[in-house]
Parts: sequence; structure tokens; C-alpha cells
Amino acid sequence: MSETVIKLNNISLDYPKHKHILSLLLNKIKEKHQTFSALRDINLEIKKGEIIGIIGNNGCGKSTLLRIIAGIIPPNEGECLVAGKISLLAGLGTGFSNHQTGRENAMLYGSILGYSESQMTKIMPLIIEFSGLQEFIEEPLRTYSAGMKARLGLAVASAIEPEILLIDEVLGVGDPNFKEKSTNRIMEMVNDAGTVVIVSHSFGMLSNVCDRIVLMEKGKIYSVGDPKEVIKQYYQLDKW
Amino acid sequence: MQDHSNNSELKPIGQRSSSWKAPFSNIFVIKENRFLMKNMVGSTVRGRYRNSMLGYLWSVLEPLLLSLVYYFLFNMLAGNPDRLYGVWVLIGVIIWSTFGRTVTGTISSLSSNKGIINLIYFPRVIFPVSLMFSNIILSLMSCIVIFPILFAYGVEPTVYLLYIPLAVFASGFLGIGIGMIFAPLNCIQKDVEHLFRFIVRAGFFFSPVMWTYEMALARGTFSGALLSLNPMVTPITLARHGFAGHSTTLPIFSLVYCFSFAVIMWIFGSMVFNRYERQAVKYL
Repeated sequence: MSETVIKLNNISLDYPKHKHILSLLLNKIKEKHQTFSALRDINLEIKKGEIIGIIGNNGCGKSTLLRIIAGIIPPNEGECLVAGKISLLAGLGTGFSNHQTGRENAMLYGSILGYSESQMTKIMPLIIEFSGLQEFIEEPLRTYSAGMKARLGLAVASAIEPEILLIDEVLGVGDPNFKEKSTNRIMEMVNDAGTVVIVSHSFGMLSNVCDRIVLMEKGKIYSVGDPKEVIKQYYQLDKW
Repeated sequence: MQDHSNNSELKPIGQRSSSWKAPFSNIFVIKENRFLMKNMVGSTVRGRYRNSMLGYLWSVLEPLLLSLVYYFLFNMLAGNPDRLYGVWVLIGVIIWSTFGRTVTGTISSLSSNKGIINLIYFPRVIFPVSLMFSNIILSLMSCIVIFPILFAYGVEPTVYLLYIPLAVFASGFLGIGIGMIFAPLNCIQKDVEHLFRFIVRAGFFFSPVMWTYEMALARGTFSGALLSLNPMVTPITLARHGFAGHSTTLPIFSLVYCFSFAVIMWIFGSMVFNRYERQAVKYL
């Protein structure tokens, strides 16, 4: 039951400071690396079925950590071990193009998220129903309002059934009605998925659903533990 | 991502095959992600002439108008060359633009897909490859214009017309290999993109677009030898021979040279791309 599904071993990540080919070459010659470190010595083990929240100030490396777990950027040191199918829920509707219809965009977004053609045709009616777009689905996306785009994005993204779900601040899009619907849907996903890692600033929600919370500070893990405890620590940290 | 194996073993995330295997593993990746590629190609093709009244007609009009300009320019400078000169330029423009668009598009394929790259991982070789296929499809659409021209000039369509799509494919394939070598570098600094836009423009004049292979040969052996170093000579000339309806008179050497040049570029490009793409993405 309590097998580890995500294991981070001494993860460190540096971002290049200068965006110059010349300075890159100079660094190679001088063997000096002008970088700033985004993550330092991150060690974390997440068990199957756990719901983990990550909190911290802006720029402390929360989203970067999720991106490493999702395999988007490789760490400079250490390794990230993962068991199972992973899905990162962030920036709904990435890759949407205005000149295509809602249906075409849903197809594209779905395939970006890793659906097969047969899966996609199967879930298409569900997507149309959940997004509430009805006949608008055949209209080009440029005629959509921002809320409609968000609804379509969430409808596609939430149709996945990953073993590990990573969520990066996607809660609360659209009008109040849809906000409730979307929060419910994400909560459903959280409950269905085996393991969940959520990055969020809504502490109320986090303390309700999370088993453990990770507090990050300047690229390091400050503490891990009971949600209420860690949130308390966050406010103490802020006073510094 | 397409991995549906249900084992719960801990595996390192984002492990790639070694650079040596990249040229082959990339082909496998393309096969695996056909559905994604289909949607991406569809999006690019539909997007190229969006919001225009004439729509896809532009894929025909664009090379047609351009060759019209060159036709008059050449007539003014060098007198009336060849009865079919206008057609030769048109074919040259279509084939060259396939190559040019694929090179520049591949180079900026990582930087222009920044949004998707930062939010989800899938093998990034899909970006340049789907771009290449979009360019090939758009060029094949341009080629439709060749049929009415065949009639206008009273040229019998022959089986050699198949040289034309072959040339489109070859020039796209040449372009992607070269582009993939520089795509990671372009994430760090956009100068690469600007430089190559210039190179493509200059290459236009050094390739037989406004002139033909036969014209260069008539100038003597030196220009003939120089010509054989440009891999783009083969596809353009091949397409023209296809229109004329005879087997190609290009020496075997040119065909082999062009083919091996493209394959070597693909191998080298894949290796560089797969090796540096992940580090380069940090700069986006």
C-alpha cells in the first residue's frame, strides 16, 4: 500500500544567469559557472495515495519542482524517480490556436496531453457537455470569451485519469458558477488519482485535502509535515 | 507519455536514449505520436493563411506572383531565355521555399513553442517534424498549379511528374536536418534565427531558382563543379526534369550526394537536438 511513487534524491537545479553565447563560452573556459540556483538539495519521498501540497513565497521554486517531477526540465544534480503515468495540470488551454474551432483545439490539446485518437473520440461528447459550449464547439476559438476558453481547457484536461496528478494553480477560473463546477471537478480528479501534488496559495483548501504540506523557501525545503503545522510555520517565516 | 505499462517500478523521469541512437529513436517517436503530429500539422496548415479571403489560394498565388516578378526581371536583364523559363522559376520557387521555410521554422521550433514546452513534456523532436510535414503539405498544394500550366504549354503529363513531390520531400528533409543542428542554440540566442533568415535569402541566388542547372553547365566546367556542391541543385533540377517529362540527366553523383547530405544532416541534427534540447529549454 505505502509504496513510494515519487522519489527526489538530492535534486539541484541551476538556471543560467546570462543569456549570451559568449558568456557561455567564457564560462566553459574559466570553468566558472554564472548561474543562480533555483533548487538546492531537494529530498522528498511521496507515497502512493498521498495528497501533498506545496506552499511558499513567489519564486521559491514550487513550480520549478513540479516541472522537474513532470520531466520538463532536467535537474543539474540528483535524480527524480517516478512510478506511473504523470500528468501536470497547469496553464489550461496551452497550445490553443484562435483560428481553429473549439473541437479542433480540443483534439490538439488532448493529443498534447497524451490521449490517443480513439480515447479522444470517446471522450469528446463528455468534453462538450462539461464545457457547456454546445454548438459553439464548431465555431473558431477567436469568437470565444476568456471564460469559454478556460472551460474548454479544463474540460479536456480534467478528462485524464493519471496515476500521479500534479496541479499548479489552476483552481478558480471562470464565473462563480463554473468556478464551483471546476473546483468540484478538480477535487474529483484529486480523489480519483492515486497520488496528487498541488501547488497553491489557497491554504484553506490545502489544509482540507492534503495529507502533508511541503514548505519551500529560497529553493530549499524548509519543512514537511502536518498541514496546519506547516501553514503556521509559513506565517512565522513571513515575519522575518 | 504514451507508455501504458502498468508497472509501479520507480523509474528515472525523462531518460533519453544515447545520442547515437537519436536518429533512429526519433523516427520511432514520430511513429508513436502520429495523432499528436496530425493535429499539430493540421493546426499549422490551417493557420498559415488564416483570416484571408483567398485562403489556400495563396499557397498557389504566392509562388506564382513571385515567379512572375523574376520572369520579367530576367527578361529585362538577359533577354528571352527559354520558352519554359517562367515554369522553371515557379518550380524553383516552390521547392526552394519548402527548404527555406523548413530550415528557418525548425530553428525557431523550440523558441516559438515556449508555452507548450514549459507546461508539458513530450519528445520535442515532434515540433520540427510536424513543421516539416506542414511545409511539405503546403508546397504540394502549391504544386497543383503545375497542372493547368502543363495544359497551357501543351506538355504531355508523364509518370516523371512524380519527381516533383519527391523533390518537395527531399528539400523538406534537407531543411529539417540542418535546422535541428541549430534549434537548441536558438533558444539561447535569437541571432541564429536572424542569421539563417539571411542565409536562406542568399542561398536563393546561389541555388538554381532564378537560373537552371543547364544554364550553369553552359557556362563551363568550373560552374558545373561548383554547382555540384550545393545539395539543393538536385531537388530543384529533378522537379524541372519531371515537368519536362524525361528521366533526369543529373549525374548519379549529384543524386547520391544530395541523398547522403540529407541523411547525414538528419543523423547529425538528431544527435545535436536530442543532446542539447533539454538544457536549452531552460533558457526559454
